[in-house]
Amino acid sequence: MKKKLSVMLALTLVFTILAGCGSKSSNSGTSADGVTTIEFWAAPNPTQQAYWQKIAKEYETVNPKVKINVSAIKESPTSEASIQAAIAGGSAPTMTENISRGFAAQLANSKALVPLDTIAGFNDIVTKRNMTKTIEPWEFADGHQYVLPIYSNAMLFGWRTDILKEAGVNEVPRTYSEVIEATKKLKAKYPDKYLWAKPDLADPTSWKRWFDFFMLYNAASDGNKFIEGSQFVGDEKAGVDVLTFVDNLRKEKGLLSQNVTEPFENGVGVFTDVGPWTFSTWAEKYPELQYKENFEVTLPPVPDGMDPANAKTFADAKGIVIYASASPEQQAAAIEFIKWVYSDDKNDVAFFQETNLPPARDDVGTNEVFKPVFEKTPVLQEYAKAIPNAVPSMDNPKFNELQTFIGQEAFNKIVRGEIDPKTGWDNMKKAIEGELQ
Amino acid sequence: MIEKNNNRLGWLFASPYLIFSTVFFLGPLIWSLYLSFTNWDLISPTYDFVGFKNFTKALGTPGVRSAFWVTYKFMIVFVPIVTAMSLFVAVIVKGLPKLKTVFLIGFFLPYLSSGVVASLIVKGFLSHTSPVQTFLRDRLGLDIDWLGGSFSALFVVAMIMAWKFTGYYALILTSGLESIDQEVYEAAAIDGVKDSQRFWKITLPLLYPAIYTTLILSFGATFGIFTEVYQLTGGGPNYATNTWQMEIYSQAFKNLQAGYASAIAIMAAVATFISIFVIRKILEMWGKRNGWV
Repeated sequence: MKKKLSVMLALTLVFTILAGCGSKSSNSGTSADGVTTIEFWAAPNPTQQAYWQKIAKEYETVNPKVKINVSAIKESPTSEASIQAAIAGGSAPTMTENISRGFAAQLANSKALVPLDTIAGFNDIVTKRNMTKTIEPWEFADGHQYVLPIYSNAMLFGWRTDILKEAGVNEVPRTYSEVIEATKKLKAKYPDKYLWAKPDLADPTSWKRWFDFFMLYNAASDGNKFIEGSQFVGDEKAGVDVLTFVDNLRKEKGLLSQNVTEPFENGVGVFTDVGPWTFSTWAEKYPELQYKENFEVTLPPVPDGMDPANAKTFADAKGIVIYASASPEQQAAAIEFIKWVYSDDKNDVAFFQETNLPPARDDVGTNEVFKPVFEKTPVLQEYAKAIPNAVPSMDNPKFNELQTFIGQEAFNKIVRGEIDPKTGWDNMKKAIEGELQ
Repeated sequence: MIEKNNNRLGWLFASPYLIFSTVFFLGPLIWSLYLSFTNWDLISPTYDFVGFKNFTKALGTPGVRSAFWVTYKFMIVFVPIVTAMSLFVAVIVKGLPKLKTVFLIGFFLPYLSSGVVASLIVKGFLSHTSPVQTFLRDRLGLDIDWLGGSFSALFVVAMIMAWKFTGYYALILTSGLESIDQEVYEAAAIDGVKDSQRFWKITLPLLYPAIYTTLILSFGATFGIFTEVYQLTGGGPNYATNTWQMEIYSQAFKNLQAGYASAIAIMAAVATFISIFVIRKILEMWGKRNGWV
């Protein structure tokens, strides 16, 4: 009898511990007094976090029945991993921002997201915010919209015009042959400087390809898709052209993929991808970097014979998602909050002003309400103008593996001079098609 | 009756460890084994059983193949270096007239330091514009991409590991050295053993149990390399530093393939178990052949 009691006691202890480890809240998010609490994870970026905290407070004053807890997405080790861990652990928030199309595809594939287009009032947001065209390419393969894009950064390349001028390059190069020519002049004048100095060039991490390969590929292919559904549809000629261009830069000793601190800002490199979020950092850390004085931003360079003025680029666009694990009350409160935020242009203006991230709207370059932002930071006009040329990332749930192959099989090897462009492209294609099967 | 009570007392005292191991080791191991036969992606509410598909897929991928071989490459570089360094530190510290403990603690401190911080410091140290690299380039004409070369990247990670573990292993070896009776050396001296033979003929054989321990620990450590690789190379270049842990992490948390990652984890566990078993046997044979055990 005593033995049985001991065993029961031990088992009770073990299951108590296990229950404690795996406790899952069954809270609907609504308290007895009818207040619905939303957990909103904002981007781990101080300006975005501050914006959403302010907006949430404003909303709470007009809607006392909703409480919005805004906190930054933890980056342990990445924001994506934190979100996955939260979902797996049953502690997912109601909504998060800063979700890319690729990551949303992963989450949607796992049934973790609410299809926003199925929620009443979603189309009102799209219409009122004037984003009908912008949201079109965000439609997923299953016909649903899982993400409400918040901002869209048409990624541009920055050029250190001051160093280029010293090297005898007076015009920003726009085609591949012009870039190679500029590299030759740069190396002749400054053997220690590089055209493109960036450790990421040799790093296979998937998202890093958005800011090198895809910028160049979208320009070279005129925005041709890379993956469509579960098919590889990459433009081989454009892809090989891109890899050959990078290979030629390497041959001219124009690439530096070693670890180096802020090479563009410090003048080690004269060319790099620049997102609009960079300018607030530069204003603080590198006030000497002034638009049109010592740097310029342009669309990506294109193969000879193409029009560089209308080159396509990569759209670093992120948006808001609502999680399927949230209660219906929380989901409804979340969509009402989003509706309230985007029913008034001044909230988008405030977002643009505080973060430098162009709102994902059709009229960001034409609407007068954004004029003060462009007057304050003129370089942002280039980003606004480029929005129609920006192609969002693929929506394949395996985007991480697929984009890793681009680096591992082709781009990184080309940067290190380990493979020729055609073989790199073929190996990459084979690996991607194998993964898609 | 006394024996029965002693048994109960034994179980009672062992129960915290047993419960801890059950909850945090045995449970996850069984769960991992179960997951390895599924296609669960960590967050989806549903998943399917896929039999041995994850295992067969893993065998054919360059990531898993590299993880297997990279571990042994790390062993070849890391184990001799860390063993030599820790032995050197232990011998030096033992010979110190005083402040032995202070020096040992000093050498032990890297073991307690954060791998992330150490990796970031090394990253800065090897940066293209760092004073060291600038000196090598400008004065010696050496432009080395430490983290971009297959062997140099592996070597850098192995050296960080060696720096971290040297003090820990030196502590074990120092205690081994301290346990060698001084009279043995005196007797050997009377028998005509030269100073140059002392280490090889007396110290090393009598230190064998401690060396055996540090060797097993250092071989085992190569199967758990993650932080340094994650921070410095991400497993590259070309999988040159892609360890088991790195591959498991990438598949589980980047590619969201928890089932597949579990299969790799099981394969890693099997590889670790077999490797350590074989290494143990070799070390025991080495000891027996020389008459040290």
